[in-house]
Amino acid sequence: MSLPSRSYDPRRVCLNPFPDIDLGKHRRTAGVYLAGGLFALANWLFLDACILSAHAKAPWGQPDTPAPVHVTFVDWLPGLCSLLGFLVINLIDKDRIRGEESFSDARAVWRARLFLFIGFALMAGGMAGSVTVLVIKYVIPNHADQFKYYSYASISQNLALMLSVVILWIAQNSSSEYEYNLTL
Amino acid sequence: MAASIRTVVFLAMVLAVGFLMIILSCVLYGNWLPLLVALIFVLAPLPNALFAHCGSDEFAGSYEGGASGPVDLGRFITAMVVTSGFALPVVLAHAQVIHNAACIMSILGGGLVYGTILAYSAAFRQEESEFDDFAVY
Repeated sequence: MSLPSRSYDPRRVCLNPFPDIDLGKHRRTAGVYLAGGLFALANWLFLDACILSAHAKAPWGQPDTPAPVHVTFVDWLPGLCSLLGFLVINLIDKDRIRGEESFSDARAVWRARLFLFIGFALMAGGMAGSVTVLVIKYVIPNHADQFKYYSYASISQNLALMLSVVILWIAQNSSSEYEYNLTL
Repeated sequence: MAASIRTVVFLAMVLAVGFLMIILSCVLYGNWLPLLVALIFVLAPLPNALFAHCGSDEFAGSYEGGASGPVDLGRFITAMVVTSGFALPVVLAHAQVIHNAACIMSILGGGLVYGTILAYSAAFRQEESEFDDFAVY
Protein backbone atom coordinates (compact mmCIF):
# COMPACT_ATOMS: atom_id res chain seq x y z
CA MET A 1 0.00 0.00 0.00
CA SER A 2 2.91 2.39 0.59
CA LEU A 3 3.56 4.75 -2.26
CA PRO A 4 7.17 5.58 -3.17
CA SER A 5 6.57 9.28 -2.54
CA ARG A 6 5.85 8.41 1.09
CA SER A 7 9.52 7.66 1.73
CA TYR A 8 10.25 11.36 2.14
CA ASP A 9 7.64 13.27 4.06
CA PRO A 10 8.33 16.99 4.54
CA ARG A 11 6.36 16.99 7.79
CA ARG A 12 8.75 14.51 9.31
CA VAL A 13 10.37 15.51 12.59
CA CYS A 14 12.61 12.62 13.58
CA LEU A 15 15.56 11.45 11.54
CA ASN A 16 14.36 7.87 11.46
CA PRO A 17 10.74 7.27 10.58
CA PHE A 18 8.61 4.99 12.66
CA PRO A 19 8.79 1.44 11.37
CA ASP A 20 5.93 0.95 9.00
CA ILE A 21 4.89 -2.60 9.74
CA ASP A 22 2.48 -3.63 7.04
CA LEU A 23 0.57 -6.72 7.97
CA GLY A 24 -1.85 -6.02 5.16
CA LYS A 25 -5.41 -7.05 5.67
CA HIS A 26 -4.64 -9.15 8.74
CA ARG A 27 -3.52 -6.11 10.69
CA ARG A 28 -6.87 -5.58 12.39
CA THR A 29 -7.23 -9.25 13.28
CA ALA A 30 -3.71 -9.50 14.66
CA GLY A 31 -4.16 -6.34 16.69
CA VAL A 32 -7.42 -7.49 18.22
CA TYR A 33 -5.96 -10.90 19.10
CA LEU A 34 -2.91 -9.25 20.66
CA ALA A 35 -5.07 -6.85 22.66
CA GLY A 36 -7.21 -9.69 23.99
CA GLY A 37 -4.15 -11.67 24.98
CA LEU A 38 -2.63 -8.69 26.77
CA PHE A 39 -5.93 -8.05 28.57
CA ALA A 40 -6.07 -11.59 29.90
CA LEU A 41 -2.36 -11.52 30.75
CA ALA A 42 -2.83 -8.34 32.77
CA ASN A 43 -5.62 -9.78 34.87
CA TRP A 44 -3.83 -13.10 35.36
CA LEU A 45 -0.74 -11.27 36.61
CA PHE A 46 -2.75 -9.63 39.36
CA LEU A 47 -4.69 -12.81 40.14
CA ASP A 48 -1.34 -14.55 40.52
CA ALA A 49 -0.38 -12.04 43.19
CA CYS A 50 -3.73 -12.50 44.94
CA ILE A 51 -3.42 -16.30 44.95
CA LEU A 52 0.17 -16.08 46.21
CA SER A 53 -0.98 -13.77 48.97
CA ALA A 54 -3.76 -16.12 49.99
CA HIS A 55 -1.27 -19.01 50.18
CA ALA A 56 1.62 -17.10 51.75
CA LYS A 57 1.84 -17.88 55.44
CA ALA A 58 5.26 -16.59 56.44
CA PRO A 59 8.30 -14.70 55.13
CA TRP A 60 11.09 -16.77 53.68
CA GLY A 61 13.24 -18.49 56.27
CA GLN A 62 10.99 -17.70 59.23
CA PRO A 63 8.24 -20.31 59.24
CA ASP A 64 6.70 -19.19 62.55
CA THR A 65 6.01 -15.51 61.95
CA PRO A 66 2.81 -14.67 60.06
CA ALA A 67 2.94 -12.79 56.77
CA PRO A 68 3.12 -9.07 57.56
CA VAL A 69 1.02 -7.88 54.64
CA HIS A 70 -1.65 -9.28 52.34
CA VAL A 71 -3.36 -8.19 49.15
CA THR A 72 -6.37 -6.17 50.26
CA PHE A 73 -8.96 -4.06 48.51
CA VAL A 74 -6.49 -1.18 48.27
CA ASP A 75 -4.41 -3.28 45.87
CA TRP A 76 -7.47 -4.05 43.78
CA LEU A 77 -8.47 -0.38 43.34
CA PRO A 78 -5.92 0.70 40.65
CA GLY A 79 -6.73 -2.34 38.54
CA LEU A 80 -10.46 -1.69 38.84
CA CYS A 81 -9.86 1.93 37.84
CA SER A 82 -7.95 0.81 34.75
CA LEU A 83 -10.66 -1.70 33.85
CA LEU A 84 -13.28 1.06 34.05
CA GLY A 85 -11.11 3.25 31.82
CA PHE A 86 -10.74 0.35 29.38
CA LEU A 87 -14.53 0.05 29.15
CA VAL A 88 -15.05 3.80 28.73
CA ILE A 89 -12.47 4.09 25.95
CA ASN A 90 -13.88 1.15 24.04
CA LEU A 91 -17.48 2.31 24.31
CA ILE A 92 -16.74 5.52 22.39
CA ASP A 93 -17.86 5.73 18.81
CA LYS A 94 -14.59 6.20 16.99
CA ASP A 95 -16.07 8.12 14.07
CA ARG A 96 -17.09 10.91 16.44
CA ILE A 97 -13.52 11.53 17.57
CA ARG A 98 -12.31 12.28 14.08
CA GLY A 99 -14.56 15.28 14.19
CA GLU A 100 -15.95 15.70 10.73
CA GLU A 101 -18.62 18.28 11.32
CA SER A 102 -20.52 17.45 8.16
CA PHE A 103 -21.63 14.16 9.73
CA SER A 104 -22.22 15.14 13.30
CA ASP A 105 -22.68 18.32 15.23
CA ALA A 106 -19.80 19.84 17.11
CA ARG A 107 -21.27 19.17 20.54
CA ALA A 108 -21.23 15.43 19.97
CA VAL A 109 -17.58 15.59 18.94
CA TRP A 110 -16.83 17.62 22.07
CA ARG A 111 -18.63 15.11 24.27
CA ALA A 112 -16.86 12.16 22.64
CA ARG A 113 -13.49 13.80 23.22
CA LEU A 114 -14.45 14.46 26.82
CA PHE A 115 -15.28 10.79 27.31
CA LEU A 116 -11.99 9.80 25.68
CA PHE A 117 -10.20 12.10 28.09
CA ILE A 118 -12.06 10.60 31.05
CA GLY A 119 -11.14 7.10 29.91
CA PHE A 120 -7.46 7.84 29.52
CA ALA A 121 -7.47 9.75 32.80
CA LEU A 122 -8.93 6.68 34.52
CA MET A 123 -6.22 4.48 33.04
CA ALA A 124 -3.45 6.90 33.96
CA GLY A 125 -5.01 7.20 37.41
CA GLY A 126 -4.88 3.44 37.79
CA MET A 127 -1.23 3.45 36.76
CA ALA A 128 -0.37 6.23 39.21
CA GLY A 129 -2.45 4.57 41.91
CA SER A 130 -0.56 1.29 41.61
CA VAL A 131 2.78 3.12 41.96
CA THR A 132 1.34 4.96 44.98
CA VAL A 133 0.31 1.67 46.56
CA LEU A 134 3.81 0.30 45.94
CA VAL A 135 5.41 3.24 47.72
CA ILE A 136 2.99 3.70 50.62
CA LYS A 137 2.13 0.11 51.41
CA TYR A 138 5.30 -1.77 50.52
CA VAL A 139 8.37 0.43 50.17
CA ILE A 140 7.97 2.74 53.18
CA PRO A 141 7.30 -0.12 55.69
CA ASN A 142 10.24 -1.87 53.97
CA HIS A 143 8.68 -5.27 53.39
CA ALA A 144 10.64 -8.11 51.83
CA ASP A 145 10.81 -8.54 48.05
CA GLN A 146 8.45 -11.47 48.39
CA PHE A 147 5.69 -9.03 49.34
CA LYS A 148 6.74 -6.20 47.03
CA TYR A 149 5.95 -8.62 44.21
CA TYR A 150 2.22 -8.06 44.86
CA SER A 151 2.59 -4.43 43.94
CA TYR A 152 4.89 -5.10 41.00
CA ALA A 153 2.19 -7.39 39.64
CA SER A 154 -0.36 -4.61 40.04
CA ILE A 155 1.85 -2.15 38.15
CA SER A 156 2.39 -4.69 35.37
CA GLN A 157 -1.36 -5.24 35.21
CA ASN A 158 -2.00 -1.56 34.65
CA LEU A 159 0.80 -1.28 32.09
CA ALA A 160 -0.53 -4.25 30.14
CA LEU A 161 -4.07 -2.88 30.23
CA MET A 162 -2.85 0.45 28.85
CA LEU A 163 -0.86 -1.29 26.12
CA SER A 164 -3.88 -3.43 25.30
CA VAL A 165 -6.21 -0.47 24.87
CA VAL A 166 -3.67 1.37 22.70
CA ILE A 167 -3.18 -1.67 20.45
CA LEU A 168 -6.93 -2.20 20.19
CA TRP A 169 -7.47 1.46 19.31
CA ILE A 170 -4.77 1.45 16.63
CA ALA A 171 -5.97 -1.84 15.16
CA GLN A 172 -9.57 -0.70 14.91
CA ASN A 173 -8.74 2.74 13.57
CA SER A 174 -6.10 1.86 11.02
CA SER A 175 -8.28 -0.64 9.25
CA SER A 176 -11.06 1.87 8.69
CA GLU A 177 -8.59 4.29 7.13
CA TYR A 178 -7.27 1.47 4.99
CA GLU A 179 -10.76 0.64 3.86
CA TYR A 180 -11.38 4.31 3.19
CA ASN A 181 -8.34 4.47 0.94
CA LEU A 182 -9.44 1.31 -0.77
CA THR A 183 -12.91 2.53 -1.62
CA LEU A 184 -11.81 5.89 -2.96
CA MET B 1 -8.88 -37.04 -1.10
CA ALA B 2 -6.43 -39.48 0.41
CA ALA B 3 -4.29 -36.60 1.59
CA SER B 4 -7.19 -35.06 3.50
CA ILE B 5 -8.00 -38.40 5.17
CA ARG B 6 -4.36 -38.72 6.18
CA THR B 7 -4.51 -35.17 7.56
CA VAL B 8 -7.62 -35.95 9.59
CA VAL B 9 -6.07 -39.11 11.05
CA PHE B 10 -2.86 -37.27 11.89
CA LEU B 11 -4.73 -34.42 13.57
CA ALA B 12 -6.83 -36.87 15.57
CA MET B 13 -3.66 -38.56 16.79
CA VAL B 14 -2.16 -35.22 17.81
CA LEU B 15 -5.37 -34.35 19.63
CA ALA B 16 -5.28 -37.66 21.48
CA VAL B 17 -1.64 -37.07 22.46
CA GLY B 18 -2.55 -33.64 23.74
CA PHE B 19 -5.37 -34.96 25.92
CA LEU B 20 -3.09 -37.78 27.08
CA MET B 21 -0.48 -35.29 28.26
CA ILE B 22 -3.06 -33.24 30.16
CA ILE B 23 -4.56 -36.32 31.81
CA LEU B 24 -1.08 -37.63 32.64
CA SER B 25 -0.20 -34.32 34.27
CA CYS B 26 -3.25 -34.81 36.48
CA VAL B 27 -2.76 -38.50 37.26
CA LEU B 28 0.99 -38.51 37.99
CA TYR B 29 0.72 -35.94 40.76
CA GLY B 30 -2.73 -36.80 42.09
CA ASN B 31 -4.14 -33.32 41.48
CA TRP B 32 -6.94 -32.93 38.97
CA LEU B 33 -6.82 -29.15 38.61
CA PRO B 34 -4.85 -29.18 35.31
CA LEU B 35 -7.85 -30.81 33.67
CA LEU B 36 -9.33 -27.30 33.56
CA VAL B 37 -6.74 -26.49 30.88
CA ALA B 38 -8.29 -29.01 28.51
CA LEU B 39 -11.73 -27.50 29.10
CA ILE B 40 -10.43 -23.96 28.48
CA PHE B 41 -8.68 -24.88 25.23
CA VAL B 42 -11.68 -26.79 23.93
CA LEU B 43 -13.91 -23.78 24.65
CA ALA B 44 -11.41 -21.30 23.13
CA PRO B 45 -12.65 -21.28 19.48
CA LEU B 46 -16.28 -20.98 20.61
CA PRO B 47 -16.54 -17.13 20.75
CA ASN B 48 -14.93 -16.85 17.31
CA ALA B 49 -17.40 -19.36 15.90
CA LEU B 50 -20.36 -17.63 17.54
CA PHE B 51 -19.50 -14.14 16.33
CA ALA B 52 -18.02 -15.10 12.95
CA HIS B 53 -21.15 -14.43 10.92
CA CYS B 54 -22.14 -11.15 12.55
CA GLY B 55 -21.76 -8.33 10.09
CA SER B 56 -20.28 -10.22 7.18
CA ASP B 57 -23.49 -9.85 5.14
CA GLU B 58 -22.94 -6.13 4.73
CA PHE B 59 -21.36 -4.86 1.58
CA ALA B 60 -18.52 -2.87 3.12
CA GLY B 61 -17.71 -5.32 5.86
CA SER B 62 -16.38 -8.02 3.58
CA TYR B 63 -13.07 -6.28 2.80
CA GLU B 64 -11.28 -6.85 6.06
CA GLY B 65 -12.61 -10.29 6.73
CA GLY B 66 -15.68 -8.90 8.40
CA ALA B 67 -14.33 -5.80 10.10
CA SER B 68 -17.17 -5.25 12.50
CA GLY B 69 -17.60 -4.87 16.20
CA PRO B 70 -19.05 -8.30 17.04
CA VAL B 71 -16.35 -10.12 15.07
CA ASP B 72 -13.69 -8.15 16.91
CA LEU B 73 -15.38 -8.98 20.19
CA GLY B 74 -15.28 -12.67 19.36
CA ARG B 75 -11.57 -12.48 18.51
CA PHE B 76 -10.87 -10.53 21.67
CA ILE B 77 -12.63 -13.11 23.84
CA THR B 78 -10.91 -15.97 22.04
CA ALA B 79 -7.49 -14.43 22.64
CA MET B 80 -8.44 -13.90 26.28
CA VAL B 81 -9.45 -17.54 26.70
CA VAL B 82 -6.31 -18.85 24.99
CA THR B 83 -4.10 -16.68 27.19
CA SER B 84 -6.03 -17.90 30.23
CA GLY B 85 -5.34 -21.47 29.18
CA PHE B 86 -1.61 -20.80 29.21
CA ALA B 87 -1.68 -18.62 32.31
CA LEU B 88 -3.76 -20.88 34.57
CA PRO B 89 -1.20 -23.70 35.03
CA VAL B 90 1.61 -21.16 35.42
CA VAL B 91 -0.29 -19.37 38.18
CA LEU B 92 -1.21 -22.65 39.87
CA ALA B 93 2.41 -23.82 39.75
CA HIS B 94 3.60 -20.45 41.07
CA ALA B 95 1.28 -20.78 44.06
CA GLN B 96 2.58 -24.34 44.52
CA VAL B 97 -0.86 -25.83 44.13
CA ILE B 98 0.33 -28.12 41.31
CA HIS B 99 3.76 -29.52 40.55
CA ASN B 100 6.04 -27.68 38.11
CA ALA B 101 6.25 -30.70 35.79
CA ALA B 102 2.46 -30.93 35.78
CA CYS B 103 2.36 -27.28 34.73
CA ILE B 104 4.73 -27.85 31.80
CA MET B 105 2.93 -31.01 30.69
CA SER B 106 -0.50 -29.42 30.79
CA ILE B 107 0.73 -26.37 28.85
CA LEU B 108 2.26 -28.62 26.18
CA GLY B 109 -0.88 -30.73 26.01
CA GLY B 110 -3.13 -27.68 25.83
CA GLY B 111 -0.99 -26.22 23.06
CA LEU B 112 -1.29 -29.46 21.11
CA VAL B 113 -5.08 -29.51 21.56
CA TYR B 114 -5.52 -25.90 20.49
CA GLY B 115 -3.06 -26.27 17.61
CA THR B 116 -5.06 -29.23 16.40
CA ILE B 117 -8.27 -27.23 16.47
CA LEU B 118 -6.61 -24.37 14.57
CA ALA B 119 -5.07 -26.65 11.95
CA TYR B 120 -8.33 -28.52 11.46
CA SER B 121 -10.39 -25.38 10.91
CA ALA B 122 -7.71 -23.91 8.62
CA ALA B 123 -7.61 -27.05 6.47
CA PHE B 124 -11.37 -27.12 6.06
CA ARG B 125 -11.64 -23.40 5.44
CA GLN B 126 -9.28 -23.67 2.47
CA GLU B 127 -11.34 -26.33 0.79
CA GLU B 128 -14.54 -24.31 1.16
CA SER B 129 -13.19 -20.98 -0.03
CA GLU B 130 -11.86 -22.33 -3.30
CA PHE B 131 -15.33 -22.14 -4.79
CA ASP B 132 -17.24 -19.51 -2.87
CA ASP B 133 -15.41 -16.26 -2.54
CA PHE B 134 -11.87 -15.18 -1.94
CA ALA B 135 -12.61 -12.01 -0.07
CA VAL B 136 -14.45 -13.38 2.94
CA TYR B 137 -12.19 -15.17 5.34
